[in-house]
Amino acid sequence: MSRLSRAAAAAERGALRLVPTARREWAEAVWAEAHEVPAGWPRLAWRAGGLGLVAKEGQMARRISIALLFAAAAGAAAWGAWPGSPVSHGAAVQGGIVITVLLLVGLPLLTRWVLGPPDSRAARWLRAGVYAAILAVMPAQAAIGMFVGTVPRGGIDRHTFDVFQGPGVPGSSSGGPDWGGEIGILLLTACYVALILALTARRTPVAPATLAIGAGAGLVLGVVMYAIAPLGLNVKYPYRPWLDGSAAEAVGVLAWVLLFGAPLMAGAVAGRCCHVPDDPGEASAARAWQGFAAGLVSGGAGALLVTVFGSSSVALLLKSAWVRDWLYHRQHLTASAVYGRELFASQDAGGYIVLLVGLPIIGLIMGLIGTACASPAHRLPDSGGPGGPPGPGGPEPVPGPPDGGCQADVKELAGSG
Amino acid sequence: MASRAEFSPQTLSVLAALCGQPSAWQHGYALARQTGLKSGTLYPILIRLADRGLVEACWQEEPTPGRPRRHLYRLTPDGLATATTALAEAALAEAEPATAKVRPGASPRRGRGVAAPVVP
Repeated sequence: MSRLSRAAAAAERGALRLVPTARREWAEAVWAEAHEVPAGWPRLAWRAGGLGLVAKEGQMARRISIALLFAAAAGAAAWGAWPGSPVSHGAAVQGGIVITVLLLVGLPLLTRWVLGPPDSRAARWLRAGVYAAILAVMPAQAAIGMFVGTVPRGGIDRHTFDVFQGPGVPGSSSGGPDWGGEIGILLLTACYVALILALTARRTPVAPATLAIGAGAGLVLGVVMYAIAPLGLNVKYPYRPWLDGSAAEAVGVLAWVLLFGAPLMAGAVAGRCCHVPDDPGEASAARAWQGFAAGLVSGGAGALLVTVFGSSSVALLLKSAWVRDWLYHRQHLTASAVYGRELFASQDAGGYIVLLVGLPIIGLIMGLIGTACASPAHRLPDSGGPGGPPGPGGPEPVPGPPDGGCQADVKELAGSG
Repeated sequence: MASRAEFSPQTLSVLAALCGQPSAWQHGYALARQTGLKSGTLYPILIRLADRGLVEACWQEEPTPGRPRRHLYRLTPDGLATATTALAEAALAEAEPATAKVRPGASPRRGRGVAAPVVP
């Protein structure tokens, strides 16, 4: 019995680490009190209750559910992306899948250790969204890569392939990018995961409202961009079954406006909404942080959304006859023309990498500009006009507008680390 | 002011145990013996009560040699007032079904409906 009690005590000491800091003393209290309980079954039952407390306060059920959900999603994504038959670049594809999953598992642990866990619902949802997007893209990109790399066995399709892809051995398959391309994609994935984990960590001074604003702006941008280019950035055969002539032009203009306007607005709103310290220098830095984060998140979220929807659409186009019929039923295309368009769409799927790199950069620049334009200092210049003598200090910075309780105190967030 | 409906029977038993000696600090094991609750039930209740400011907790200053420091609990002034009200309401509610039974025309279903639902 004493051995059982000692084992339970050891388990409880180890489990204390799973409990949030604010609740840890309660778990320690149960453990300390166990010494007053009569030895034997009563003490063991007391300790078991303590472990139950740890499980409850440490939200173990939620953690285990999330871990199982991630394992299922990652397994499904890897299964869908895994090359089914021996292909010349199969090792690169398999290596890319394994390393991607390892990145998704390992980087959160590293970030948690350095910057702390996410501490808001917005942060957790944003992380979940980015993870879901990365896992969704894996099988879609694999299907596209396999299609692009597979040489038709003959006929007009073979001719079309030779024209656009160069001659290849009929029936052979490269199955996707080589190690160079795979490493590039892995680096991009690692950057996205690391950035989103850092921005959503507790010790990073980014308010939950900033994350929500950035993600909302990014979703709008992504939806509009997808609406205008659902089958990749195909300039030669742009096809959007839900938009006709003038509507397509209007949405195209809207997409261009949102490309710069969405992160600009996100940065402005985030900079205006956040609580800032009294010190003007610190206030400017805090606002700049919010603008930077809002712009970056909006660009990244928009790029991810377009990539996920676009890649999935192209992959469905390749895999599903029903989708092909739905997309092309009004165009009366020959089978060869359909193959040509599929090939175009698949080739243009590589353009999503440009979006994944470019949109966040545009986003962070526009976010900073938006914050600078909307900051009170910009609208209320110091006293002492140009050319005049240096006057006394200008008016105190105008405090931010009432936030309605939706923003976290940036100073507090920064100090919580 | 919290009403009885906000407390489960287990929470009411903890409040009753703490009300027995409102000014004295009590140990978890002593509370468990008084209430008959297991540690896995008692401590979550104490945590919720402490979160609501009804119970205050501290660590024992002078522990018994060879033993770890114990965690001590007692009701705050707010907690005492709330507990007194809630326990009085609970006693009243328990008495109500008995009076309903002797009232002519009162059905058992109606008697049960009078009692407010207990929210855990």
